[in-house]
Amino acid sequence: MMQIISKRKYFYVVSGVLTLASLAILISWGLKFGIDFTGGTEMKVRFSQNVPNNNVIADKLKELDLESLMVKAAADRTVTVDYRNSNDQINRDVFGKIKELDGSAVQVSTDFIGSTVSAQLKNSAIKALILAILGIALYIAWAFRKVSRPVSSWKYGLGAITALAHDILITVGVFVILGKFFGVEVGVPFIAALLTILGYSVNDTIVVFDRTRENLLRAGAKEDFEDIVNRSLNETLARSINTSLTVIIVLFALVIFGGESIRYFSVALLFGVTFGTYSSIYVASALLVTIYKFQIKKA
Amino acid sequence: MTVRNSLKIKFATVVLLALMAGLVSYPRAAVKIPRLYNALNKLQIKQGLDLQGGFHLEYNVDLSQVEAGKKAEALNALQGIIEHRVNAFGVSEPLVYIKKSGTGEILVVELAGVKDIAQAKEIIKETPLLEFKETKIDASNQIPQETLDQLNAEGPKKAADILKQAQGGADFAQLAKDNSQDPGSKDQGGDLGMVKEGMMVPEFNTALFDPTFKDGTIYPTVVETQYGWHILKKIATTGSGDILEVHAAHILIAKATQPEPQTSYIDTGLTGKNLKNATVGYSNQALSEPTVNLEFDAEGTKLLADVSQRNIGKPLAIFLDGQIIEAPTVKSALTNGRAEISGGFKTVKDAQALVKSLNEGSLPVPIGDPIYEQNVDASLGQASLMSSLKAGAIGLAIVLLFMIIYYRYLGFIASIALLIYTALMVAIFKLSAFTPWGITFTLSGIAGFILSIGMAVDANVLIFERTKEELRRGRDMMSAVDEGFRRAWPSIRDGNYSTILTSIILVWVGTGFVKGFAIILMLGVVVSMFTAIVLVKIILKFTLRKWATDRMWLIVRVRKSANSEQKIEDKK
Repeated sequence: MMQIISKRKYFYVVSGVLTLASLAILISWGLKFGIDFTGGTEMKVRFSQNVPNNNVIADKLKELDLESLMVKAAADRTVTVDYRNSNDQINRDVFGKIKELDGSAVQVSTDFIGSTVSAQLKNSAIKALILAILGIALYIAWAFRKVSRPVSSWKYGLGAITALAHDILITVGVFVILGKFFGVEVGVPFIAALLTILGYSVNDTIVVFDRTRENLLRAGAKEDFEDIVNRSLNETLARSINTSLTVIIVLFALVIFGGESIRYFSVALLFGVTFGTYSSIYVASALLVTIYKFQIKKA
Repeated sequence: MTVRNSLKIKFATVVLLALMAGLVSYPRAAVKIPRLYNALNKLQIKQGLDLQGGFHLEYNVDLSQVEAGKKAEALNALQGIIEHRVNAFGVSEPLVYIKKSGTGEILVVELAGVKDIAQAKEIIKETPLLEFKETKIDASNQIPQETLDQLNAEGPKKAADILKQAQGGADFAQLAKDNSQDPGSKDQGGDLGMVKEGMMVPEFNTALFDPTFKDGTIYPTVVETQYGWHILKKIATTGSGDILEVHAAHILIAKATQPEPQTSYIDTGLTGKNLKNATVGYSNQALSEPTVNLEFDAEGTKLLADVSQRNIGKPLAIFLDGQIIEAPTVKSALTNGRAEISGGFKTVKDAQALVKSLNEGSLPVPIGDPIYEQNVDASLGQASLMSSLKAGAIGLAIVLLFMIIYYRYLGFIASIALLIYTALMVAIFKLSAFTPWGITFTLSGIAGFILSIGMAVDANVLIFERTKEELRRGRDMMSAVDEGFRRAWPSIRDGNYSTILTSIILVWVGTGFVKGFAIILMLGVVVSMFTAIVLVKIILKFTLRKWATDRMWLIVRVRKSANSEQKIEDKK
């Protein structure tokens, strides 16, 4: 039997450091928001032969006086041109100028989002996150209404939500780093990934809590709470790891082989699910015990 | 029915289901049966924009100029007219709709597979053009009546002459070939095929079906119809009463007629900008005859008065976007700026359709430049699709492998169920096209599908872990399996609820990308509950018998302890 609960101090330290670090960089560096939330245009152009240098392209577009213009080269003779303006006429002018550099350049994709639309998307994203957190909190409270000793049922919810917050924060932290150093942008798909992680991670945590609840009901007062929780964890270790493993396998396949447009979406899911598994095993239940010990100390 | 028999039936159903799902999702398997293959191949998954290429545009609709009560009408008209324009592209399924956004209404146009987005945008932007044009009939190609009469004087003589030849025994067919002026039958020797009563004009008909007209003979006189003069031959008669048919032939000496006069349209200067309103009304004479009432503004009233004065008795053509939609005849001069178009509408619906068209042309609802655009080239879309499918296949393969290695026989069955799950999902996607909730496959949808494959086995993992536990506690295989299913169900149910809950939120609040992902994920969770629990249970109960229960190693690793007692242990 693995001693998970007794060693919880170590896991608290690891999780604590990661979570605080993520929070810190989130506040200081922030996420790199894509056009979904800032508004603007992202145009991908494929050149027929030689790809002109980014500076050459930027120079050509200088006369159009675009806001926050960024030119990035990508695979397959493609160049991504990003700018804050979101105006159809300007977009046409931009492509016109690019065609001056290469007459047979092809517009592979163009996304442009006006500022009103992006404001709305930001709104919806926040609304969705809040709703999801509320929904899950309520759901956990309801799922654990029957187990009230020795820790009241809402405290199970507290443990689960703390673990969830930890998962989300660390995933966000990863993307802060990706944004700062690799220019990876975050848009609506990222929010979707976060919400999916919320749903899935809670799933995992509940599986563990379920077993704890069952053992509690069976053991009664005979066993120490800490021991029951530890035993429950051990019993559910295999299932926790395996259920997540199957999901992580497909996510890895998606990240490595999948289409470019959904790559970072899959990366977000991958981190979320991995940390979700980790937190369900090493953090959520440990928190239960800590809360219990705290209760006893107070009494 | 014994338990055994009902199990057999269930198992057979599972196999059938698997086969059907497999065939629908992969029609190639039935390539040897052409009819089946063709029918199945017709089912396609509808691909979203980001896979088949195309564009999605959104425009702000400026309703500031529209009077309060007319907003819905304006929006409807706008949607209709844009759809009309967009249809000109010949795209298979253009999508044009109005959606509400925080501050107002937004027009959404989605066209798949369109290459020239610049041109499309141009056409969408134009406000519709309604024009009233007067018709000018060019009668200069008309032949004077005397010439016509002259030409036709010879006709009867010629016909009589041919009749005599025919009655004299000349070859009818040859006569027809040489003389008949009916291009449709002349080369076939005048043969008209089987003629039923009522098929031809009255004069022809009466002659042909005259009971004294015998088979194989020539009608004794020349028959005159509006087309000219005919020499008739009855070849044979078949049937009687209702199905009476005559095999006939004829030679036609045609009457010369007036050629159709040329119609040209001249602008009157009266256009949509002058039309204040168009409504459906009823003429005074008969309540059942609908009319369309037009109301023009000041300038229009003047123009209308002039135009109608000039064109009494002649048609006034109404053009929408360059195409003529109606050409009612002007009955009298219209001086009060109102016109009534009557006598041309069979039903109220026809009148309403015209009113709709007219109002479309007269409501200027500007939409400005697009505020949101997403345009994907087909090549990018297909490339993404291919790589994602590859990823899915690889992921699936590894998961299958993992399940078999870790859970052995149970894992093997779960793998089969997983394959059935995949086939079932694809079949559902394809068949959903027939329901009102057709599923459009997007890249995010594929991601959701692949994710759901990973989650589909989770239920099985939970069940099998529980089963192994029960086995460890000393239960026999069959009841351990039962207990496994029973005890694992609450966890499965609760876990899936939370995934479904967040998916619902995503669908509700999300946009296109997110919605596609969430819907497919939700569907996957539900279907996988079915395949992982119901299907696996049936297969297991059917296949696990004496051959298996004696071989514990099929499920768990068995280790001999020091005193050679078999201990059942599972890998960590």
